[in-house]
Amino acid sequence: MDATQTKDIYTEEFLINMGPQHPSTHGVLSLELTLDGETIVECTPHIGYLHRSMEKIAENRTYTQFIPFTDRLDYVASMNNNLGYVMVVEKLLKLEISERAKYIRVIIAELNRIASHLIAIGTFAQDLGAFATPLFYCFREREKIVEIFDQLCGNRLTYNYMRIGGVLTDFSRDIEEKIKKFIKYMRPKVDDYDWLLTYNAIFLARSKHIGVLSKEMAVNYSITGPNLRASGVKWDLRKDEPYLAYDKFEFDVPVGKNGDAWDRYKVRIEEIRQSLRIIEQAIEALPQGDVAVKVGRIHKPSPSETYFRTENPRGELGFYIVSDDSVYPYRLKIRSPSFSNLAVLPELVRGLKVADIVCVLGSFDILMGEIDR
Amino acid sequence: MIKLAKNFVVGTWSLIKGLAVTIKYFFRPTVTLQYPTEKQPMSECYRGLVGLRPEKCIVCYQCVKICPTACLAITHKQEDKKKTLETFKYNMELCCFCGLCQQVCPTSAIIMTNIYEISVYDRKKLDINLLDMKKYDEWTNTTIK
Ligand code: SF4
Ligand code: SF4
Repeated sequence: MDATQTKDIYTEEFLINMGPQHPSTHGVLSLELTLDGETIVECTPHIGYLHRSMEKIAENRTYTQFIPFTDRLDYVASMNNNLGYVMVVEKLLKLEISERAKYIRVIIAELNRIASHLIAIGTFAQDLGAFATPLFYCFREREKIVEIFDQLCGNRLTYNYMRIGGVLTDFSRDIEEKIKKFIKYMRPKVDDYDWLLTYNAIFLARSKHIGVLSKEMAVNYSITGPNLRASGVKWDLRKDEPYLAYDKFEFDVPVGKNGDAWDRYKVRIEEIRQSLRIIEQAIEALPQGDVAVKVGRIHKPSPSETYFRTENPRGELGFYIVSDDSVYPYRLKIRSPSFSNLAVLPELVRGLKVADIVCVLGSFDILMGEIDR
Repeated sequence: MIKLAKNFVVGTWSLIKGLAVTIKYFFRPTVTLQYPTEKQPMSECYRGLVGLRPEKCIVCYQCVKICPTACLAITHKQEDKKKTLETFKYNMELCCFCGLCQQVCPTSAIIMTNIYEISVYDRKKLDINLLDMKKYDEWTNTTIK
């Protein structure tokens, strides 16, 4: 049909809801899409399906009691959330922790970062149609990490491992051996992903030049973490504002060139390699000593305000605590990385096809647990 | 035409590369467990359902105070100076398996079992009287450490 013929046909924009129960929205996210045929005209994310009012709960819990709740923010990287929270309370209490605890925290945080990135990679591949294989390969590797955590603290997903003033349990010989073994096991597996996925023709065709996020836009939307680095901004809190013992280790900050979906994926693959490097150095240089400072279970900080941010697998996780003269925080605010990362989605998917929205969303690796809090 | 040929070559090459990886693992031992028939052993310190050794409890209320979800409830009898447990309720529905109660207990009376298959049909079953641990036999894997 040529233009004269189609002019008489009545067409209109079409509104569909993607989610909240959609397998590729990574949780309960609802996207309201306005479509012109197959092209996305407008995309409005609706959040709040997983809201548990964490910040309000914190106001009625002692500082120790709130640690298990932070597990449920970003449930794929619970250790990193635990870490972010206990670090801010330690800053509030002006508590100095032992050297060994610092190293253990680094190792644990990096292991959890690997586990989290593995899920990001696996689900991203699945979103693009590589149905089972990459996801299950990623889960096979993640299982090793989860087993280490299980042995360490007794749970497989919500660890509640970090404590104000240190960590819950010390590494046993067995766990140290397991971690060393894991590093050796994991290195060739990352190369496997390259073979299987990274340079696969279909994968490249689906993810290259899709959802390009420019440097300026990334900064304006306060995107953080691997998504920011994929746009070419070299910003990593572990390097730029080192906390714990990160300044003692050698590692690179991988950055992408174009800021497209493939770059975001590739940065994560590289970050797994760098995390392995950090763990290797840390476990070699693990100092002896106590793992926890003796502090009471009830903390009563003097009235003040504190903010601290850590580099989570998904970006900068910040906790802001206002304390008054009681055992509960007066106010706790959580700055979750996925929230900002989701905010840029409507800008990126405008003009793309419906099938690509899954690709862009998957490449951002958002997690509803910390968006809704 | 050249582009088509190039696409064909590149596509086939990635197919072969991908297959090489999958075939490599095809001849390795399987890592998947056939879940309901095969079960993963949990670690020593696994935090499953909360259990109690009533004879050890000194009724200090530490566990009740620390529990972030308030799922433990104790009542006691006072005889002279000695306290004895009267009831020890555990509302499993609220428990988040954080393990804090186990860590604060001075006499290790409260423990965490390795029961992890804890779904029930009747909601009333989630309200557990910890003084009568026989209830735990209803769940599989009921070895109490
Ligand atoms: S495990 Fe945590 S939530 Fe469950 S009873 Fe013990 S303290 Fe309470
Ligand atoms: S903390 Fe231990 S000893 Fe104290 S009341 Fe609870 S179970 Fe009993």
